[in-house]
Amino acid sequence: MSVTDKKISRFLSTSWMTSEHPLPWLLPASALMIVFGIYPLLYAIWLSLHRVPAGRRQMVFDPLFNWTKIFVDPNMIAALVNTFVYTFVALTLQMILGLSIALLLDTDRRGYSILRAIMTLPLVMPPAVTAMIFLLMLNGSFGVLAHGLFALGVLDPAQPPILANGSAPFSLTLLGETVKILPLAMMGVILADVWQWTPFMVLIMLAGLRSLPKEPFEAAAIDGANSWQMFVRLTLPMMSKVIAIALLIRGIDIFRMVDYIHVMTARGPGTATLTLPTYATQEAFTKGVFNYSSTIALVTLILIILTSTLFMKIFRVRL
Amino acid sequence: MSFKEHDRKTHIIDLARAYSTRRISKREFLKKVGLAGIGFSAFNAGLLGNTRGFYGDTSLIGTEALAQDASVTKWLKDVGSKFKGTTIRYTSEATPPTVVLDKIKKEFIDPTGINVEIEIVPLEQVLAKATLDVQGQLGSYDLYYLDQSWISTFAEDTVEPKEYYKKKPDLAMPNFDWDDFSPGLAKGLAEYKGKWVGIPFDVPIFITMYRQDLWDKHKLSPPKTVDDFTKAAKIIFEAEKANGIYGTGLQAKSGHYSLNCDWTQMIWNEGGSIFGADKKFTGNDEAGVRGLKLYQEWAKVAPPESVNSTWDGQGAMMVAGQVGIVNSWAEYMPGVDSAESKTKGLWTPVTPVTGKALRPVDKAGFGEIPNYGHQGASVLGLSKYSKNLDAAWIFMQWACSKDVVARCTTIGGFAPVRTSSYSDPRILDKAKPGPGTTRHLPVVKATIDNLMASEPDMPLWAGFSNNEIPVNLGKLLTGQDFGGDAKKCMDTVAKVIDKAVADAGL
Amino acid sequence: MMQSRSSIFIRDTFAIAVVLLFMFPLFWWSLTSIKPDYAIFDKDGINWVNFEPTFDNYRVTVFGQSRLSEVEEKGFSVGNAGAGSYDSRQSLFDSIIIALGATLISVGVAVFASYALSRIPFRGRVSYLNWVLGQRFMPPVAIVVPLVLIYRDFGMRDVNNIFLGYLGLILIYALMNLPIVLLLMKSFFDDIPKDVDEAAMIDGATQWQAFWRIVLPMVKGGVAACAVLCFVFAWTEFLISLMLTTDIRTVPVKISTFVTSTGNEWGFISALGMAGVIPGFIFIILVQRHLVRGLTLGSLKE
Repeated sequence: MSVTDKKISRFLSTSWMTSEHPLPWLLPASALMIVFGIYPLLYAIWLSLHRVPAGRRQMVFDPLFNWTKIFVDPNMIAALVNTFVYTFVALTLQMILGLSIALLLDTDRRGYSILRAIMTLPLVMPPAVTAMIFLLMLNGSFGVLAHGLFALGVLDPAQPPILANGSAPFSLTLLGETVKILPLAMMGVILADVWQWTPFMVLIMLAGLRSLPKEPFEAAAIDGANSWQMFVRLTLPMMSKVIAIALLIRGIDIFRMVDYIHVMTARGPGTATLTLPTYATQEAFTKGVFNYSSTIALVTLILIILTSTLFMKIFRVRL
Repeated sequence: MSFKEHDRKTHIIDLARAYSTRRISKREFLKKVGLAGIGFSAFNAGLLGNTRGFYGDTSLIGTEALAQDASVTKWLKDVGSKFKGTTIRYTSEATPPTVVLDKIKKEFIDPTGINVEIEIVPLEQVLAKATLDVQGQLGSYDLYYLDQSWISTFAEDTVEPKEYYKKKPDLAMPNFDWDDFSPGLAKGLAEYKGKWVGIPFDVPIFITMYRQDLWDKHKLSPPKTVDDFTKAAKIIFEAEKANGIYGTGLQAKSGHYSLNCDWTQMIWNEGGSIFGADKKFTGNDEAGVRGLKLYQEWAKVAPPESVNSTWDGQGAMMVAGQVGIVNSWAEYMPGVDSAESKTKGLWTPVTPVTGKALRPVDKAGFGEIPNYGHQGASVLGLSKYSKNLDAAWIFMQWACSKDVVARCTTIGGFAPVRTSSYSDPRILDKAKPGPGTTRHLPVVKATIDNLMASEPDMPLWAGFSNNEIPVNLGKLLTGQDFGGDAKKCMDTVAKVIDKAVADAGL
Repeated sequence: MMQSRSSIFIRDTFAIAVVLLFMFPLFWWSLTSIKPDYAIFDKDGINWVNFEPTFDNYRVTVFGQSRLSEVEEKGFSVGNAGAGSYDSRQSLFDSIIIALGATLISVGVAVFASYALSRIPFRGRVSYLNWVLGQRFMPPVAIVVPLVLIYRDFGMRDVNNIFLGYLGLILIYALMNLPIVLLLMKSFFDDIPKDVDEAAMIDGATQWQAFWRIVLPMVKGGVAACAVLCFVFAWTEFLISLMLTTDIRTVPVKISTFVTSTGNEWGFISALGMAGVIPGFIFIILVQRHLVRGLTLGSLKE
């Protein structure tokens, strides 16, 4: 040890300041998380406990006002349903597509590494910009995708354009409020999300596939199993941990995603693409009702915590 | 659509369109830079006419005709230089006049030494940031761009300009001429409860515009009434469908203020109003429902993209030659005459089509004025929370001064807020088809003077016109709810609005 | 397993087709970036090759060519908005500063914490890890407004002090990246057996020395991967940057300023968008090997 090192270790030798104690190591990270994570969160909670009476500017302490309002607000029902539908559908699509494409690209043959590299491109696009790309492509008068769909006969040009189209295959009525499940506008948004994040799934699935041991597959081949059987009985179970992690991480992200809806449909038409985080954004930034917005955002947070914890327990995901 | 329209959508103050200071430098500098003469009008014009871009005539920049008056430069220098080194900020929508803005900034900064920072963002963001600014009293912005639908909401956040003018004579701009502003604007727009909230800044207003070439082709006469409009739109649609041309185009995006604008015009045209004298919502009465049903008829002969378009999209339809007749913002005119437009010189502006007898003002609520020309004017307001009040005040006066307004109109071709501008020779000169045309101005003036309508003046209006009303209308028009039943839609809106008004104790 | 030539061929074609399909939006986007406006909004159809390509969009946004001078040179009104607002060089610069700053702080802070979490057993370790993961759950919209108000109170808004403005944004991005970096680095540290540390400490080194001189150099690759992920995230984040800053405009926010309602200046939007993809893509390729571990917060190794 050099002289300086000796000096440093002596300096750090007070009981909790030794480098053997975790505290000094954790201090900077913890400080960051407390100041920028906990403090704003507390502030948000504080905001949710106040309200601004109509026509005035000062906040008034009224803890139950916002927290009871969310239970009687019809928009909350739409927001809740839409958020879960969006998350579920987008997640499922991304998982299926991701796994399929991973299986497709999982080979050491020439050129495939280039294909795999190209597949990561969508990930570096800012989501806000991706949303704009799809906004342009889905434009009812000038969009290339829209024209394609018209040509294929899938969509009728006389109908409202996709991103302003609220027609849906199903609808659900909860507590007197009818919510459409998967209106066209929502499908447009999901399209953008799926395009952007399927490569994420592909990467993860690829990594998972590559780490699978070869022996079981060889044994199964000898026993005469076909590809499909091997996939269902070997690949899937062995990949379960990978799939679980991927679903958890992506699920959380989709749940709190606002970029696509914000740019493409502005929560419309009507409330067709209103989700919890975008509802919070709307309340804050188009009406200035920060208190209620905080409440909605906190509800989102609570839901995320609950569903993730549940998910982690059921699928035994460990850090 | 104009900056102002975007503002509306957001409801919160649209901060300052105040464009940066105009910098006036020497003639050579001006010529070199070519900026001279571009004023806030141009900015306005771009904003008003078409947010797609500045359809003004930038070739005029730098010419003698548009050079700034030396006396103004001197005034700027005298008055402004003691604020040297301060920075004033405002936020505005991304509009074409930024071309001008850039140079104007330097012009203003030169004689005064006051730096001007402009934050150019889409309207939604302007609203968002303004909301934040006001609610949090952040004081980030010195000037606010206030749409007429927000005047009452933000009346308390600005400094009364006329009083300030008297209060600070040493900062007062000579020849400002407060009476020069169109009387209708002064009373209906800037004034709230007897005081001016800001200085009238722009006046986008509805007129009727139709494609002369299509009219000639199908031997139609100029439209005067709503019935003429509907009939003509249907004829054009039937005849020109194959060419990809629709009857009319709408700005019917769900949840956007633009849809509200179209809708209010429709019910006013049917002799209805938004509120009744008893302060209850009357959009669901017979006249209101008739108006909405007619709008649904019009939607049938409009491009389907209309329900996803705001003023910007509507303008694009006109420029691309997709529609035959439109009852909308006069500010589209400079745009449709630009060099890139496919319909250059083909549009004829006329005063807006008239409908049934108007509901008298005393039968409408909250100061609403039903008429045939929907107006979306704005004012420039001086923020109370500004830390550079006086510097911003100087800029504000300069931006709204006679000469600047006239020069801007000359370049941008949009409707000026000052009466004197209409007779300014430079403006009359440009009354022909071409970029930055002013050929529609006589029509606009006639509309402003005689047919100008006004939306209700109440604090909750900004919220209703950007959320409850257009969201429900959107649901109706896109078939998401109400099953095409206009009355049902309006009844739903009535319930929500009446409750909110009652809760707020208005 | 033996595969017939035809099935190999089918697989290859299919793979290429799928990848090309995925690339279509990017292709369309770059095509749009070289189209003049009339070709983008043409009511008579979609233009694939039917137009005169122009590099003006790139010139204006990335190379700072003044829109006005272009208009003057060509002598006609191009029908598009003004010059200064489209020059995006400042935005590119801002984005780079913010992204680098956030990366430095995030990685710098996290390596220490993750080392401790990996090496030093203490009570509450699992809870701490869960707390870190919990940061990931936060919807940005929940903290945006409080952040703006907090920053106002501390004079950290960029309109008050530009330096603090940069710092403020850097710090919040550092926080948002922290879960990924911390958990990822922990998994890299976990890969290195504790014996290494112990050997060093038996020789008289303190924990710190073992870390700084021995273990850290061994995970350089992991650190690089974290850095890249941080960079990409900070580069692409939108909401917080939008609301928190006025003078500082990062690239995604700048691009969004080109849009009004139904879209304005698609040429500029697409040009700047394409230009913005390049740094991120280069970095991603460089650390591809460690990418998966990063994306799964360290749970999954490649």
